[in-house]
Amino acid sequence: MNALISLSVLGIVAMLSEIFNFKKFLYSLILLGLVAAIGVNVMEWGQFQLWYGMMIVDEFTLAFSGVILLTGFLWFLLVADNHQDKAHISDHFAISLFAMAGAIVMVSYNNLSMLFLGIEIVSISMYIMASTQKNDLGSNEAGFKYFLMGAFATGFILFGTALLYGATATFDIQKIGVFVTEHNSELPAIFYAGLILIMVGMAFKISAVPFHWWAPDVYTGSPTLITAFMATIVKTAAFAAFLRLFITCFSGVELFWNQTIMIMAGATILLGNITALLQNDFKRILAFSSVAHAGYMLLAVLAMNNQSGGSLLFYLLAYSISSLSAFAVLLAVANLKGNTNVQSFKGLAKKNPFLAFVVIVAMLSLAGIPPTAGFFAKYYIFTAAIANNYVGLTLVAITGSIVSIFYYFRIVIVMFEGDESTEVTVGSNTKALLVICSVLVILLGLMPDFLIGLLK
Amino acid sequence: MSTPADYLPILLQFIAALGFVVLTIGATHLLGPKRHTNVKNETFECGIESVGNARVPFSIKYFLVAILFVLFDVEVIFMYPWAVNFKSLGVRGLIEMFMFMSLLLLGFFYIIKKGALKWE
Amino acid sequence: MTQYFFYFLSFLAIFFAALVVLSKNPVHSVLYLILCFFSIAGHYILLNAQFLAAVHIIVYAGAIMVLFLFVLMLMNLNRDSEPPKSWQGKVAATLAAGLLLLVFTASIKGADALPSGNQPDNTVGLLTNLGKTLYNDFMLPFEVSSILFLVAMVGAVMIGKREEVSE
Repeated sequence: MNALISLSVLGIVAMLSEIFNFKKFLYSLILLGLVAAIGVNVMEWGQFQLWYGMMIVDEFTLAFSGVILLTGFLWFLLVADNHQDKAHISDHFAISLFAMAGAIVMVSYNNLSMLFLGIEIVSISMYIMASTQKNDLGSNEAGFKYFLMGAFATGFILFGTALLYGATATFDIQKIGVFVTEHNSELPAIFYAGLILIMVGMAFKISAVPFHWWAPDVYTGSPTLITAFMATIVKTAAFAAFLRLFITCFSGVELFWNQTIMIMAGATILLGNITALLQNDFKRILAFSSVAHAGYMLLAVLAMNNQSGGSLLFYLLAYSISSLSAFAVLLAVANLKGNTNVQSFKGLAKKNPFLAFVVIVAMLSLAGIPPTAGFFAKYYIFTAAIANNYVGLTLVAITGSIVSIFYYFRIVIVMFEGDESTEVTVGSNTKALLVICSVLVILLGLMPDFLIGLLK
Repeated sequence: MSTPADYLPILLQFIAALGFVVLTIGATHLLGPKRHTNVKNETFECGIESVGNARVPFSIKYFLVAILFVLFDVEVIFMYPWAVNFKSLGVRGLIEMFMFMSLLLLGFFYIIKKGALKWE
Repeated sequence: MTQYFFYFLSFLAIFFAALVVLSKNPVHSVLYLILCFFSIAGHYILLNAQFLAAVHIIVYAGAIMVLFLFVLMLMNLNRDSEPPKSWQGKVAATLAAGLLLLVFTASIKGADALPSGNQPDNTVGLLTNLGKTLYNDFMLPFEVSSILFLVAMVGAVMIGKREEVSE
């Protein structure tokens, strides 16, 4: 709740900063505000509050809000050196802050109406942000595609919510959960239809196969900064919402939906990884890898035990910070070379050993190789899934991660080829971001127990 | 307590209004003399030949005004359920509405200051 | 009596919705959509939600339809620019829509025998009750929706406003 209020206020301040002529201080103000919000979030740890029955503040909420705020802070570090459109910067800041506020609503909802509002705030912000480069055809295409498909998905979620209300006469997810356990044997068909529709809508938002078609195009077409935002913060919010909904409402009818999600997860892992192998554009590789990672994270939803929350939290944090540093290096290289092709990374290791090191750490983490955070992320999520007897699916997931090593390492290999490259320069904020991300990735890989113990 | 049946008079009025329109249009169509000429069938019968047709893409400014209108339209809708319960909601309702309205007025202020409603 | 109205309005709504899809002229589609909205507003009245019916007409048939018309005017309708659709696409769309229809029809089965003891209040749609629910139970969503409005405003200004060339 405090995170929501502070982000909204920051957003309004950003909105008005141009009118009242304090645009110069806006950036530092936002960074300060985000640090304060993270601090308040940490202070609140261990509390339990229910705000008007609509928002729930528990450890789950605080942990995922923490991930969102931390990723948001790091993302703002990235913005400083890479933002092109100086005229609209305050508007862009306002919309991204509002989107983060929406993400907070998505991780802390206790009522389906709040879930819908959170999804809408995040989605509408993202439609706008994806199409901010008005003169770029790709950005226009991305915004339009995302809008059309996203509106459909939101429609499905709304329809499903209506049917759930028809069956249970409540929007409160805890009451729905109680209803499901009480009437387990006599649940009407209308309830299952609602469940399916919500599942489809949410699967779209997390870009799980077969609802992933928008993701590669939107991720590639959007400005790279926005892609980084979508791949990290939006994904975190969507997955937290997904897990909370299924654990709270639908755990009583697990047998009804687990087959579907199992197939979805397997298909997402295989398709995402194999398609990523065939790409030559680094941004597109990251887009498909983001699809593939959604598949791994679905294992946490399937696990449905006390390890689900912790393993998903660990995975999302590891994935978000690794992706952010990959996107940061991509932005620096793309600014110099003018494209996001893999070949642009040629010779990076000779001229920029620091950047090359960062990329190696990020790629190791995304591929899930020790001693990075990505390894333990996968380890925990696989053990959680195996604890609920998903051995076959876990084998598929392991195969998928082996495939993923090929395309992640392709970039590493390219970096060590040739030496005709000119030096890539990065600003001080990006440098700070890269250092923080790499240190966090390695630190989480060396002592993972701390984070995994947070959510039990 | 109002029920759907109470809305029957409105339905009747709807039918009456619609019936009147259909009746007058139909009647003039049937009763009036029909003399079609090429000149009379022009879209704008004022001596100036029309160029092209009306289906030309127009400025996005109209759209911006329209979308802002929709936003504030929806916002005003929220006032009705509040107004009829004004007394029973008391101070709390007043604070709620003030917060909502002040946020939206900030938005309105932003729109004005940004010059989104300026025509030139 | 109510039942006859229900079937009549449902027929009208589906009929006009079909016309929206089938008519060649996009402006006609918009006009049919308005008629469709009116029949849905009739459903709201049957469901004892008179305020929603009025809102539906004011917001959808009024404001949103004007937006639709403006979008049509923004496009160039002179050229036959719509690319011919491939038959695979048509088959896939028919299949998907048919499956969706199947799920919906199947979900109605057994809807009259819902588990009892959890019946929704059927007078909640009346204006006074709606206000009480909205401003007591659903106060937080109401306030959060203002953030949504702000996002929409900033976004509309950002995307819709023409850039000044010299700055």
